[in-house]
Amino acid sequence: MSARRLAALLVGMSLLAAPAVRAQPPLDLEPAEIRRILQHGPWPPPVARDPSNRVSGDPRAIALGQRLFFERRLSANGGIACAGCHIPAKAWADGRAHGMGLAPLDRNTPTVLDAGLHRWFAWDGRSDSVWSQALRAILDPREMGSSARHVATLVRADPTLRCLYEATWGAPGADEPLLVNVGKALAAFVETVRSGRTVFDDFRDALARGDRAAAARYPEGAQRGLRLFVGQGSCNVCHLGPQFTNGEFHDVGMPYVVAPGRVDGGRHEGIKQLRADRFNLLGSYNDDATGTAAIKTRHVEPHHANFGQFKTPSLRNVALTAPYMHDGRLATVREVVRHYSRLDLERIHTHGEQLLRPLRLSESQIDDLVAFLESLTDPQASDPPPPPALGACAGR
Amino acid sequence: MLRGLALGLTAWLAASAVAAEACEAPVGFAARERLTANDVVVLFRTVPATIEIGRHFAVEAVVCATPPTQALRVDAQMPEHRHGMNYRPTVAATGDGRWVAQGMMFHMPGRWQLVFDVERGGRTERLATDILLE
Repeated sequence: MSARRLAALLVGMSLLAAPAVRAQPPLDLEPAEIRRILQHGPWPPPVARDPSNRVSGDPRAIALGQRLFFERRLSANGGIACAGCHIPAKAWADGRAHGMGLAPLDRNTPTVLDAGLHRWFAWDGRSDSVWSQALRAILDPREMGSSARHVATLVRADPTLRCLYEATWGAPGADEPLLVNVGKALAAFVETVRSGRTVFDDFRDALARGDRAAAARYPEGAQRGLRLFVGQGSCNVCHLGPQFTNGEFHDVGMPYVVAPGRVDGGRHEGIKQLRADRFNLLGSYNDDATGTAAIKTRHVEPHHANFGQFKTPSLRNVALTAPYMHDGRLATVREVVRHYSRLDLERIHTHGEQLLRPLRLSESQIDDLVAFLESLTDPQASDPPPPPALGACAGR
Repeated sequence: MLRGLALGLTAWLAASAVAAEACEAPVGFAARERLTANDVVVLFRTVPATIEIGRHFAVEAVVCATPPTQALRVDAQMPEHRHGMNYRPTVAATGDGRWVAQGMMFHMPGRWQLVFDVERGGRTERLATDILLE
């Protein structure tokens, strides 16, 4: 067992074990607080298929996608797989401040846990589907540096990959459609990487049932932190819903200068890239004939304020995905909470927007918020996936 | 001449008032709200009927105005936060004074101000209402 998995297990076990030592009565929460807390569940949400991907949820595509996810030969140098940065044992992130592909990257690697529930992908939302994001990583010269020709050649030549591909899609066709199908198979697998329940979810459901005895098993510090989260802190204005994110973009006062003379434009650049992407949902590879999936892409509106904005990340399993923020500059959850406590408004491009203010938390309040955030940990989040169901393609 | 103009204006205002008063939702159109400003009436509903934070929705509107509506803009802001939506809705006339705005999304809880700008006869009439999302 890796040190990280052990740490994850210990976080989960300590949270589970705490009530046995000393059960705490649930705080006297106001009805409005309870309403806000209930909005962070239930979890897990129902499994929904991606209408833009006709093999979403297809077990054959999932098997192919899983095989491809761990396949280093997809990259130009044969050395980098998707799983090289989205490492299952590290809660499907990589633990580095900045990602490392064929070249060093400017941003922190987001986990792919629950990625199937997202609206936009990457810190700047440059992709509008899991499959188009997978294609970006494959093709980006700094990440896997591959090409449609390279991927198509591999799939045609490798007996197992070819067998799985044919079982899903039929005979391999031209390079680019084959590449897109590879992206869609990868997406079908990534959609199965879902996080499980946490001690917070047990507390939330106990509140929903009015079960005070069950609610009392939730550590009191986490309860106080949760109260801050939905109350004084107003963290739930952006980190809302069962995923603890509104899926949109905000400037939270992080520096955006990558190097002297070079800045990270965040969402501003992301919208440009999205519009230029021929694999976006407005293109011919979108399988959704109803047009519903593409509504976000058709209507997304660039603003000056997008400069320096980055995606609001989910907080589920946040304790397992250090370091933090788009550029990985904060090492611990505690540092992130301190950042919001001391927020420097001078650093934020508000464009008149009045959303953030320094929380000015006491040390014990910081402890409580950290305890709450750690309670969003699924003890199995870093478990390896079960082996792919290769069926008749096994052993080829 | 002046008397004629005054009579004409009175008649136009009366006709407008009658038109506004007569503005009714078509059968099967369950309006969420009726907004009135001068001689303009907007009846609107959302699809889906319940607006969820972070979910796209459409606004369907019946607009009664004299002279008839030439264009309709639909938008929304959060006055306390001083920002609008991250999406620009597209508005299209669907006939018989009905309009549909696609691509709306409220991405935060709080007070949103939904705004209809009705253009007719070279003037723009603004109608607005608050929607509170928790």
